[in-house]
Amino acid sequence: MLDDKIKKKLCDSMVSIVGEENVTLQETDRVLNAHDAWPLSEAKIRAGEMLPLADMIVFPGSKEEIAKILVVANDLKIPVTPVGGGAGTCGGTLAIYGGIQLDMKRMSKIHPIDHESMTVKVEAGVVGIDLEEEVNRYGYTLGHTPTSLRASNIGGFIATRSGGSLSSLYGKIEDLTLGLQVVLPDGSIIECKSVPRQSVGPDLRQLFIGSEGTLGIISEATLRLFLIPEERRFRSYSFPDVHSGLEAIRHIFRIGIEPSIARLYDPEDAAMSFSMHFEFDEGHCMLLLGFDGDPSQNEIDERKSMKICSEKGGTDQGEGPSKRWWEHRYDMYYPSRLTTSGFAVGDTIDIVATYDKLENIYHAMKSAMEKHDAIVMSHFSHMYQNGGSIYMIFFSSRATAEEGWATYKKIWDDGVAACLREGGTMSHQHGVGLSRSTYTEAELGSAFNVLKQIKEVLDPNGIMNPGKLGLGVRK
Amino acid sequence: MIFDDSLAEQIRMCAACPKMCRHVCPTFFAWRSDSPTPHGRALLLHQEIVGTRDLDERGIEVLFQCLECSHCLTFCKPEIDIAIIVEQRRKEIVTEGRRPSGLNEMAESLLKYHNPYSEPHESRNDWVETKKSDGKHLFYFTGCTAVYREKEIAANTIEILETIGNQVSISPEEWCCGSPLFRTGDMNLGLELARHNVEMLNAIDADEIVVTCPGCYRVLTKDYADYDLKLNKPVKHISQTLEEQIQKLPVGEFASSITYHDPCHLGRHCGIYDEPRKVIEKVSGVQLVEMEKTRDNAMCCGNGAGLRVLFPEKAKKIGSERVKQAKNVGADILVTSCPFCKNMLDAQSGEDLTVLDLPEIVLKAKRSRKANID
Repeated sequence: MLDDKIKKKLCDSMVSIVGEENVTLQETDRVLNAHDAWPLSEAKIRAGEMLPLADMIVFPGSKEEIAKILVVANDLKIPVTPVGGGAGTCGGTLAIYGGIQLDMKRMSKIHPIDHESMTVKVEAGVVGIDLEEEVNRYGYTLGHTPTSLRASNIGGFIATRSGGSLSSLYGKIEDLTLGLQVVLPDGSIIECKSVPRQSVGPDLRQLFIGSEGTLGIISEATLRLFLIPEERRFRSYSFPDVHSGLEAIRHIFRIGIEPSIARLYDPEDAAMSFSMHFEFDEGHCMLLLGFDGDPSQNEIDERKSMKICSEKGGTDQGEGPSKRWWEHRYDMYYPSRLTTSGFAVGDTIDIVATYDKLENIYHAMKSAMEKHDAIVMSHFSHMYQNGGSIYMIFFSSRATAEEGWATYKKIWDDGVAACLREGGTMSHQHGVGLSRSTYTEAELGSAFNVLKQIKEVLDPNGIMNPGKLGLGVRK
Repeated sequence: MIFDDSLAEQIRMCAACPKMCRHVCPTFFAWRSDSPTPHGRALLLHQEIVGTRDLDERGIEVLFQCLECSHCLTFCKPEIDIAIIVEQRRKEIVTEGRRPSGLNEMAESLLKYHNPYSEPHESRNDWVETKKSDGKHLFYFTGCTAVYREKEIAANTIEILETIGNQVSISPEEWCCGSPLFRTGDMNLGLELARHNVEMLNAIDADEIVVTCPGCYRVLTKDYADYDLKLNKPVKHISQTLEEQIQKLPVGEFASSITYHDPCHLGRHCGIYDEPRKVIEKVSGVQLVEMEKTRDNAMCCGNGAGLRVLFPEKAKKIGSERVKQAKNVGADILVTSCPFCKNMLDAQSGEDLTVLDLPEIVLKAKRSRKANID
C-alpha cells in the first residue's frame, strides 16, 4: 500500500486527469471492484477473507486519459492493475501490490459498423453481450461466445486471449481481432492497423493479445463480424469411451468439416450434465456437435459426421443433448448451494494439445488431480483440425480454509505438471493471471526469457499488472 | 443478524456469482462501476454477515443506489431477488438512524403533508370532480404523483371510468400509500400511513378500489397484507379495470407507432403484462411495437426506490436510455401504466416522442377520432 503522502499526490493527479467523480479511495469501492471470478478469490470471499486491494480506483474515459494516468504512475513507479468486466477466472485483476486499479468500464463506445468490411470498432470497456446484441440488430454475430459473455468486456477478451464456445468454427479472439489500439506504460499510444493480413514484420497485435495488462492497456479494438447463420443444427452421439469419441472428432475435422460445436464429455461429466435429461448407457461419453450456416451444407456436413461417429462406435442420440447444452450453456456458471458451501472450491484447468497427446494428457491429469480426493470431470471442447482443449474440471471441499486452499493449490500444481510432462499447454483460453503465474516459466521454457526481455523494454519500471503472467513478481 | 439462514445463503450465492445479471442492472448502466450492482450489494451484505467488514457509509450509499426493479431476477438461475434483500437491510439502516440524509426531507414531507412532494394535503384532490351514476361503484385511490405532478392522469382516469358507466368516488382523507417509505426501509412511518389508509378504505362504500399507480397497487395488495392490514374490498389496477370493461372503451384513430413500457411494480413485481397491452391495442386500433427489452426483461425508468431523490442525474440517465429504446423501435408514442414512470420518461423524451399514461391514451381515443399526436 502507498504511504499517505504519495497517495495524496497520486490522487490529486488522477482527479486532475479524469475528474473527481471518476476516482475513488473508498474501501467499499475498492473491495467491490477488485476481484474477478477466480474461484479461489470467490471461495476466500465466502470464507470471510479480504482480498488484496488497490489504493484507489480510477475510471478513465479516453485513451488520452489512460496515457496521462500511465505517465504519472510510471513517474511515481506505482503499480497499475487494469480491470475490465471482472469476469476472468485467474485472478488477473487483483491488485496484489496495491496502487491504481484502472477500471475500463466507462470506455463503452461502439462505433458504427463497417458493413463493407464486416468489422466493428469498439472501446475496450464494452460488455460482450452489449456488443453481440448491437451487431445482431444488423444481422451479424461476433462469433465469440464465452460463457462469461454477459459480464466480460472486449478488452478482457483480448487481454486474456479468450475463446468462445463456437471457436472451432469462428476462431478465438486472436483470430477475430483485426485492429488494436494500446496505450503503453510511457504514455505513448500505438495503433495496429485493421487489416485482414499483413507482411510488415512480426504481427505486433499478437504481442498484446494475451498480454493481460502486463505490457500496456488495450483501449480499443476492431473486430471481425460474421453473418448470423441461417441455421444452427445440433446432433449428439454417445460413445463407450473417451478414445472412440475423440477419434470421431479427429476424423470429422480431418476431412475438412468445421462444426461450430464439438464437445466430448467424459463419463463423469456426461453423467453430471446429461443423465438427468436423456437416456444413454451408463459410463458412456457424450459428443455434442453443432453446424452453423446454409442448411444444405449443414445437411452434408452432418451426414458425413454421423457416418464417422457410427464407424467409431457411437450411438446416435439425436439433437437433444447438444441442443439442450446450447440452450442451457450459461447454467453451469451460476453458483449453487453445493458449490458455495463451506470451504468448497471448484475450478477448471483448460489445457490444449495436439491430437497425438490429448488422450495421454487427459488420463495423466485426471490421475494426478484425483490423488487429492478431488472430483474430476472433463470435456474436450474447442476442437480443431490439429488438436483441441480439455476442460479438466475439479471440485474439492475440505473442513478448514487452510486445508481447502492448500488442497486447491496441490491439485493445480499436480494437474499442470502432468499436462506439461505429457506435452500439453496449460491454458487454451482462460489465460494465466495469478492462478497460473508460477507455472509460466515452465510452460514457456527458454522462450520465457524473450517475454521477460520484452517486458523490461516496454515496462522498465514494472508498473503494469505486476505479478501476473509470471512477470514483475515482487518480494 | 437480520437475515435468516435461507437469505444468508442466497446472499452468499449472489456474492459468489460471476455477475451473470449485471448487464441488465440499470444502476450498473448509470455508474459503470461494480459497486452499484446486484453482486456488489450482495458482497457487502455477505461480508457483514460473516464479519469481514462492517457496512460503512459508502456501503449504505451503495444499498440505496438500488432501484429495486428486480430486473436482475430475470437473469438469476438461483432466483435470488436482491431487491427484497436490499430492502430488508434498508429497514435496519433506518432503524439504526443511518439512512442517507437525502431521504429525510421526503420522510418529513410524508409525515407532515402525507405526500412526498411537500404539497399541502388540503389540495391533494380537492380539485377533482366526480359525477353520480348508477354504475359500478369504484373508489379511486389517486396516489400522490397523479394528483400533484400528473394531474391529467387523475382527471382522465375519472372521466374515462365515468364515461364507460362507473360511479367514481375519491376521498380527501387519502394519504400517500406509503410506497416511498416501504421501499426505502422506513417501516414505522410507512405503516402509520398504511393504517390510516386501511381504516379509511375499509370505511368507504365501494365495490372496488382502483389505483393508477403500480407503486400504490403493490403496496395495497402485497405490503399491507404482509403486515396483516386487511382491505375489505378488491384492489384493481386501472389496466385491469379497463381491460375488464374493454368492450365499452372508445376506439380512436392513431396513425402513430405505439410502444409500451412495463413499470417494474406492475410487471415484474405483480405480473401484470397483458392487460395494459390489450387496452392500448383496443383503443388505438393498432398493434403495439414492442421494445427489445420488454415484459419481464423491461428496463426500469430510473425513478424507483428513492434513486431520483438521492441521485437525480443518474435516474435521468436511466430514463433517457429507456426513451432511446422506445425511439429505436420507431415509436412516436410511448405508453406506460404508471404516473411515476410517465413523469420520468416524459421529462426525458424530447420533441419526437409523446409519453402517455394508460388513462391518457384512452381519453385521447375518446376525444378525437383522429388523434393528432404531432
